[in-house]
Amino acid sequence: MSAAAQVARGTSTGRRFTAKLIKPLTRPLRKDRNRLPIPHVHIVVRDTHQCRLLEHYHTTLRDNLMYMSYVHEPHGRKPMRPIRPKFDPEDPYVKHRFNPPIGPPAWVRTPMPPVTPENIVQLECIQLHMMVKESITSKSNLLGPIMAFRAISGESERAGGRHTVEGVKIVKGKKAIGGWVKKGLATGVKVDIRGPKMYDFLGTLVNFVFPRLRQFDGIPMPNASVSLETPSAASGVVSFGLGPESFSMFPQIEVNQDRYPKTYGMHIHLITNAQGLGAQNRARQLLSGFQVPFSRR
Amino acid sequence: MSTHLKSTPPHVPASQTTGQKSDTASIIYTGVIVNRNPIITRTPTAFERAYYAYHSRIERALHNPFPSEFYFKSGSIIEGQFEKEEKVREREAFGRPVRRVEEWRRKLHEKNTAKTEKKPKAEARIVIPGGVPQPMPREHEADRTGDVHSLDRNGERNVYLLVKSKDEKGKEVWRFPQGAVEGDELLHEAVIRDLRSEYGTGMDTWVVSRNPIGVYRSGSSPSSSPAKAPVFFYKAHIIQGQVRPDGKQVLDFAWLTKQEIKPRTESDYWAGVKDLLSDF
Repeated sequence: MSAAAQVARGTSTGRRFTAKLIKPLTRPLRKDRNRLPIPHVHIVVRDTHQCRLLEHYHTTLRDNLMYMSYVHEPHGRKPMRPIRPKFDPEDPYVKHRFNPPIGPPAWVRTPMPPVTPENIVQLECIQLHMMVKESITSKSNLLGPIMAFRAISGESERAGGRHTVEGVKIVKGKKAIGGWVKKGLATGVKVDIRGPKMYDFLGTLVNFVFPRLRQFDGIPMPNASVSLETPSAASGVVSFGLGPESFSMFPQIEVNQDRYPKTYGMHIHLITNAQGLGAQNRARQLLSGFQVPFSRR
Repeated sequence: MSTHLKSTPPHVPASQTTGQKSDTASIIYTGVIVNRNPIITRTPTAFERAYYAYHSRIERALHNPFPSEFYFKSGSIIEGQFEKEEKVREREAFGRPVRRVEEWRRKLHEKNTAKTEKKPKAEARIVIPGGVPQPMPREHEADRTGDVHSLDRNGERNVYLLVKSKDEKGKEVWRFPQGAVEGDELLHEAVIRDLRSEYGTGMDTWVVSRNPIGVYRSGSSPSSSPAKAPVFFYKAHIIQGQVRPDGKQVLDFAWLTKQEIKPRTESDYWAGVKDLLSDF
């Protein structure tokens, strides 16, 4: 089979594919409470472009991850060792007390299900979070971070007809801590990125941010000697932080960096669908396939 | 990475690795499927391009208002420039605005009954200083010439290494590289040793897993024991380099897609290996 035809020229909106004569509306559209027009048909915006990393996942990564993480269990699994409860059940003082097993919760100790072609680890969501201390004094200091997250993630509330997308959210204090934070006080911003935009963001991190960071060897990972029976190791989430020097390395911010009042750092959580003993290892295995570097402390 | 903290590596029972060359029934072979994964994205079909363009236009029509007051000083020159460029982009997406339905109907009628394509008016363009960098062509020289030795051919597909070598009967066959397990070594060690011995200096490879991805036993041939020896396949990726046939074990080689491997291999062998190969 011969290789590709020429790529279509023109903008992403496809000059060649535009119906140049779009029928005008006979009546103006109704407006919602934000004075934005409501389309007269229910529209959901789907894929607007090919997703390079998702294609790489399906052509190459998925197979490799299945082979790498498969463990042959010809004799099935032994049942989990029963863990002693916290209190002695015979002791009359504690007989009706809540008596959980000692140590980490059961979901942390449960081994991951056997690997099949249907349950290979996948990236589900990327969460960005920024704590903005100045917003405690004045809420207008959140404007820069909100715009920055909008630019980096591309997410907007209920964008494209998707009513569950929340866009950039303001993080509010849960408890009142004397002299610092009150309940309901805005303290930061966060955003969940899913779908093709998530892969685009990951591509930006890998191609623009990480290579330009000074003294960055990779996302730090725990030593081999550390126990895997911890919630962080069983969650299938890889978390790391970027300092304020990384703010201008995102091309969406670099282009008009002077418009942001301040540079900020952020926490990034890469959430996968792995859960159980060793889930974080599987998550790191997946992300290595996307060229995300890792390093030991 | 193993989930079990103390998992044992795949161990072949001792009865099968006695290493006695005369007892051919106890020989095990390891084959390796060396893969060059796709280096460019798949070309979208015309339907896909139209689909993406359509959804891009919808996204443009429905996007949340751009916060001009945050990014630009009101009334500044750069704001005016941005608005001009936005108008050009709108026009590229949706065409010139047609305000009245009667005008639209008239233009549509003209377009449908027009015998010759009218040349469109010269539209305003956004000028990017320094020009827009053009990507490299998606088709390589090797695609045009059909050079199966090249690793640049078929950049959007998975290609696999097929070699021409002599099998046990001395017949020249096209198959994946394979070698016998020697002594007490583990299967994945045998694969690594085999790759290094045959292609060591010329090719960097990475074997994906410690456990095999498939097994092939030539079933239907009559009872001569070498034919029954199992071949455990492993997947490897070529990192860099190229195959250099030494003329002794490796007579010729080719980097082929799944569809191109089928006509070159024997039907029995193909039936055993086809499910190990990717359709992409």
